[in-house]
Amino acid sequence: MALRRPGRREQDDGVRFSRTLTLTLFIIAALLIAFDRPDARPGAFIAFRSAVSDTAAPLLDLTARPLRGIGNIGPYWQRQHELAVENAELQEQLTETRYWRDLALRLRDERDIYREALNLTPASEQERIGAWVLADPTGPFVRSRLVGAGAVRGVGEGDPVLNVYGLVGHVVEVGQRSSRVLLLTDLNSRVPVMADRSNARAVLTGDNTNFPRLDYLGRDADLQEGDRIVTSGDDGILPRGLPVGTAALDRNGRWRVRLFSDNAPVDFVWVLPYDRLPTPEEAPASLPEAPDAEPVGVNAEPAAATDDTGTIAIAEDGE
Amino acid sequence: MRAPIERRPPYGLAIWCAVTLLLALLVYATPARLTRSTDLMPLLPLITLFIWSTIRPYFIPPIVIFIVGLLQDLLTGGPMGIWAFAYLLSLTIMRVRKEDATTRDMGPLWFRFVATIAIAVVFAWIAGSLANSSPAPIQPMAIEAAASILMFPLIALISVRKRSSRGAFG
Repeated sequence: MALRRPGRREQDDGVRFSRTLTLTLFIIAALLIAFDRPDARPGAFIAFRSAVSDTAAPLLDLTARPLRGIGNIGPYWQRQHELAVENAELQEQLTETRYWRDLALRLRDERDIYREALNLTPASEQERIGAWVLADPTGPFVRSRLVGAGAVRGVGEGDPVLNVYGLVGHVVEVGQRSSRVLLLTDLNSRVPVMADRSNARAVLTGDNTNFPRLDYLGRDADLQEGDRIVTSGDDGILPRGLPVGTAALDRNGRWRVRLFSDNAPVDFVWVLPYDRLPTPEEAPASLPEAPDAEPVGVNAEPAAATDDTGTIAIAEDGE
Repeated sequence: MRAPIERRPPYGLAIWCAVTLLLALLVYATPARLTRSTDLMPLLPLITLFIWSTIRPYFIPPIVIFIVGLLQDLLTGGPMGIWAFAYLLSLTIMRVRKEDATTRDMGPLWFRFVATIAIAVVFAWIAGSLANSSPAPIQPMAIEAAASILMFPLIALISVRKRSSRGAFG
């Protein structure tokens, strides 16, 4: 703190600070507001923010530990009641899950057979990365979480983040040991989704409420109250089929989503490292040079590179 | 020979001021959801800045206010500059320049805090809406402001009592 600094004057009417310094700080703050826009953030700002998050992560973890404990205590009777209700629900779900497990195993076997028959290359199935939430700022401008896993553990920008029930958001900033997750409810969040039942497409748009909107839904879209909403993967950023929530109509007749992830506090999450498909512009295929006198006909063999590209494209589409 | 206790520079108090500001920032950014449905968290950094600027005005120069606001922006993941500007503006307008007896009275102190937080929150709402290119929701800001106003007397009472119990700090 400033104890005896030249920028301060103590006069009869009290402490006064340098007006030039104050004015300069006002200008710097105004410039930061003008240029640090969430939709077009300069690279230097992103690097600076990640560095601060990395530095603060251990301190936030230390602060969070006792608070996590306090949050879990709660009134005894309330906990007991909640546990009893939860136990009954879990038993019901377990019974249901047995059927789905058998079905999943059978479908997995079928899938393996089809893959083998079609010579499909399976997408890389990487391990999910578990991480504690270190910071839980929920303000009027941003809904994000700082999680204790970063580039060192394989987290990448855009990776989806889930809790035990469903999608929470995706990674927007990656530091060495920490990452910032933009929640689905944030004002800047846009995620392509679809109804599991009808494949009706929409964009899940956050508006800082607990129930994000379904925008760009066709006029005659086949959507019903309670339909399960999953990611569609249309943007190529998030994988297809991640559980998001259920469709619900609000008072104004607008479609919204009741998020699965709201069923539990977001205190421990999994990051799913996901290799996005590169666009043709990002990874153009190198076409073989056409031979001068090659006959082009029905019996002509296609070029090897075309074959390879085709196989890969089919394999990845299949996923 | 030791200097009289009143004339010694209060380095210990300055360190305590820095520690409380850091703690306020960390607790504000830490997951501490009190209920499942409400994200209730008072603006602890502003409360701490305000109390210190009342107890020891020269501990809280504009650069400290700016840094605390900027750190709050960074830790909460919001656009940089919003809280830095809001805190600078509100505390520059409402700060106490000289200690006198009235700064110890809870009524005027609370009233001044309400005015300070009102200026900060209104400006932060405008700046946040401009940064996001759409109006920010009012409810979370209102909840934060209300929680801060309600919690302020408790923190202020503890701080003022602690201060009055130590002759050197008074």
